[in-house]
Amino acid sequence: MYFRSLLPLLFVALLPHANGADPSLVRKSLARISNTAQEPNYRQPWLSGFTGGGSGTGWVVSSERILTNAHVVSNARFLTLEKENDPKKYIAEVEFIAHDCDLAILKVKDTSFFKGTIPLNLGGIPEIETEVSVYGYPIGGDKLSVTRGVVSRIDFRPYAHSAIDSHLSIQIDAAINPGNSGGPVLQNGKVVGVAFQGFSGDVAQNVGYMIPTPVVRRFLKDIEDGNYDRYMDLSITTFNTLNPAMRKGLGLENNDCGVLVSSVAAAGVCNGYVKPGDVILSIDGLPIASDGTVELDADRIQMAEVAERKFRGDTIKLGILRNRTPQEVVVPLERAWPFTMQANQFDLQPTYVLFGGLLFQPLSRNLLSAIQFQNPRINYLFETFVPKEVYTEHPELIVLTSILPDPINTYLNEFREGIVEEINGTPIRTLKDAAQEFAKVADFYVVRFMGNGRMLVLERAAVEAASQRIRTRYGVLKDQALNENAR
Amino acid sequence: MRSLCFSWVLCFSTLTFISANAAPTGTATVAPNVVRVNITSQAYDFSRPWSKRAPASKRALGAVLQGQRVLVTAESVANATYIELESPDGEQKQPALVESVDYEANLALLRPESSEFLKGQSGLSLTTAHVGDTLSVWQLEANGNLLVSKGQMTTAEVTRYPIDDSAFLVYRISVSLQMRDTATALPIVKDGKLVGLMQRYESSSNLLDLIPAPVVEHFLKDALRKPYEGFPRMGLAFSGTRDPQLRRYLGLNGSKGGVLITQTLPNGPAALAGLQKGDVILEMDEHALDADGNYQDADYGRISLGHLVCTKHFEGDAVPVKFVRDGKVQRTEIKVARRHPEQFLCEPYVFDRAPRYFILGGFVLQELSRTYLREFGNDWIHKAPMELLNIDRTQSELENDPRQRIVFLSRVLPSDVTIGYEDLRHQVVRAINGKALNSLLDVPFALEQAKDGIHLLELEGDPHQVFLDAKAVQEVGPMLQRSYRLPTLSQLE
Repeated sequence: MYFRSLLPLLFVALLPHANGADPSLVRKSLARISNTAQEPNYRQPWLSGFTGGGSGTGWVVSSERILTNAHVVSNARFLTLEKENDPKKYIAEVEFIAHDCDLAILKVKDTSFFKGTIPLNLGGIPEIETEVSVYGYPIGGDKLSVTRGVVSRIDFRPYAHSAIDSHLSIQIDAAINPGNSGGPVLQNGKVVGVAFQGFSGDVAQNVGYMIPTPVVRRFLKDIEDGNYDRYMDLSITTFNTLNPAMRKGLGLENNDCGVLVSSVAAAGVCNGYVKPGDVILSIDGLPIASDGTVELDADRIQMAEVAERKFRGDTIKLGILRNRTPQEVVVPLERAWPFTMQANQFDLQPTYVLFGGLLFQPLSRNLLSAIQFQNPRINYLFETFVPKEVYTEHPELIVLTSILPDPINTYLNEFREGIVEEINGTPIRTLKDAAQEFAKVADFYVVRFMGNGRMLVLERAAVEAASQRIRTRYGVLKDQALNENAR
Repeated sequence: MRSLCFSWVLCFSTLTFISANAAPTGTATVAPNVVRVNITSQAYDFSRPWSKRAPASKRALGAVLQGQRVLVTAESVANATYIELESPDGEQKQPALVESVDYEANLALLRPESSEFLKGQSGLSLTTAHVGDTLSVWQLEANGNLLVSKGQMTTAEVTRYPIDDSAFLVYRISVSLQMRDTATALPIVKDGKLVGLMQRYESSSNLLDLIPAPVVEHFLKDALRKPYEGFPRMGLAFSGTRDPQLRRYLGLNGSKGGVLITQTLPNGPAALAGLQKGDVILEMDEHALDADGNYQDADYGRISLGHLVCTKHFEGDAVPVKFVRDGKVQRTEIKVARRHPEQFLCEPYVFDRAPRYFILGGFVLQELSRTYLREFGNDWIHKAPMELLNIDRTQSELENDPRQRIVFLSRVLPSDVTIGYEDLRHQVVRAINGKALNSLLDVPFALEQAKDGIHLLELEGDPHQVFLDAKAVQEVGPMLQRSYRLPTLSQLE
């Protein structure tokens, strides 16, 4: 389903013969999940989208709750669960979904599903080299499959589902294949991870990843209040202070401690508390080494892990050195990473404005994966959206993505893939701004794009005469969609 | 499989022969007015600016002109270290020098070291050609006989030349060529006169692009003047005005043609003439412009005004312009001038000279040029570092940047001075010790401003600031030079 170098795997887990767990009991707590999904159509955003499907694995995590991967149930329109030795198909719904850590909770309408199931217990972080068993419904057959392997390493790794998040992740060498996604990985009868992604066979062999229990527990705790608030994020970048001259220039002691703050995202939680050029010496009292790690649970781990474990509303205490003066700041954690346009997004209808046959859409990863743009400026602004603070002037980058040909726009092809700077003299910061300018009554609508090209001109009379014609000719249902019904 | 390939090759060559109309002029005497040009070139390696690439050889066919000069394309002699002229029969050889070169017009004029070498050659004179003319492409057989392929001229248009992005007049002919070993810079001839030099040939479509006589003529006139001035430009960018909605918005209802100025180069010829963004040029040099920016040329019909400006005029000429501003027709004169490559923030090409660099304790500092970006291979447009590419691509939007050059950290040669910085690369350096860098030449002075024995480098990207120990930088120099085998730690010309 996902083919980057890392791919989340829709897979099912079977029960472990494993150490202490009664396989027949584990089997009873597993379900094969079938998802009929609808992916939005970014080329013709007024259409309902493409229907597809996939399957994965889920398991009973507590009474009447099924846990699985977010990517197994993303964009779901209809979900069914099947149990071993039960002919019935149970209809399920997504209760909570966490795209940033690829986890989701399902509830089942017909609670008779839970007759005979037992919630699986969560364990801790397994030791390196110890054996684990993966349960699920991967490709290659219909029945439950179990594979076994050892824990290969424990590290901070990117989670492919959202494309922008990294969390703790455990690599195992048990075979993990599409369909295994969401299935439990057991050791000594306890769940020590949720299988979720791997490499395609031509990249690496015997490398599969599972979401470790601290991430699962954090998710379960986050939703206790009935809301998923996402991971809190400091939204800063830091740089090592290994270099002696760097340490001297920043006024640091010779103690291998501290990281330099390179940038602070204006929309992030640290803005106003931390500045570029500050040195962060400690986080919640834990000294930060010059390579950005802290000692946590008897292991050296990246300082981000400290913020990872927090929840919305918590605070984080940073010891900083500013202009060679030590200070302490307490940062309230109110927001997750603010730039969701850079992430894969789900359960979202595309927004757009169609004017005179010109389709304007905000730039996002979803749009980029749907349309191959030739204009290098688009990719550049997407990649540098945060480091170059593009978002301050353009919270949304509005792209003229395509033109529905009509006599009124026949001379406008050169503007395809242009990024809107202003309309009738008004700077365009969001799609809503564009819609508002086009809604105003004017003789001419003059659109200026980034760069030094000419302006685009449309006459109101011509647009009015053409709009019904264009709608009919191309089967456009609606001229615009502005409200994001994001979850 | 093998036999299939073989028969295909046979078949292909037969076809080529028939359609080529290649009728060798079986003269017993050696072909006149052409010489083989054997070029050894050695380009600088811009990703290791202290070293040159391995020497490469090229062969071109030069057209002998009156005055004992040889005309070839600039491409063929770029970064030349040794040029040798060879008589068609291979009996005589003679070293030659580049007398004038224009990389924008892709032309070079060579002079043999001894004037004896071309003695007796009458030299070709120039002639223009027109669409429909039959032209001869000259090549040499191994024995020195002339191989002539004839083709018809299909097009005359203004289009981009290969080295820089400058647009010039091009003739295009449809001709099927059996390529001999001297595949570059072939002379194209009509009635015994030189029409131009080949600069591109596409065997799949049998289309040959040549640098035509008007461009050659301009180059030769310039070559007589010192310093060489080259092809002038207006210093503006324009856009067509075909769209009727745009024309009504601009108030051009009554008229037909004209082009909209979308940008003027600050202090460039158009700006100095008082032209502004938003003006619509109706006439240039007494020629009416159509809505695409074409004028009616006596020789070529409707072609782009670029030809009118840069090839029909010389540096410093005053070109009359009629334009509309706010509905009123006005006139002015543009004193056209060439924009030299050194006047660009990111030089479009660098040949024949060593790139500047400065090694600071292992940090390799360089000046951005498109030649550097091209080091990233054929797909450099996608492979080169995004940030640097973006500067090159959008430099017309950076006209007010005070810098002369972009100084950047290309890579780090690790040493104990650079611990922790090993992964830094392709980062623009804005300032050192608080001194803004307008070019690499500013670096030595900026380094004198170290505070407390520490150099502070301000980078455009993360981590934005980097510190180096001034004394350690000094001390590590000889070690770097030894272990990385650097001929010198800096090259500032």
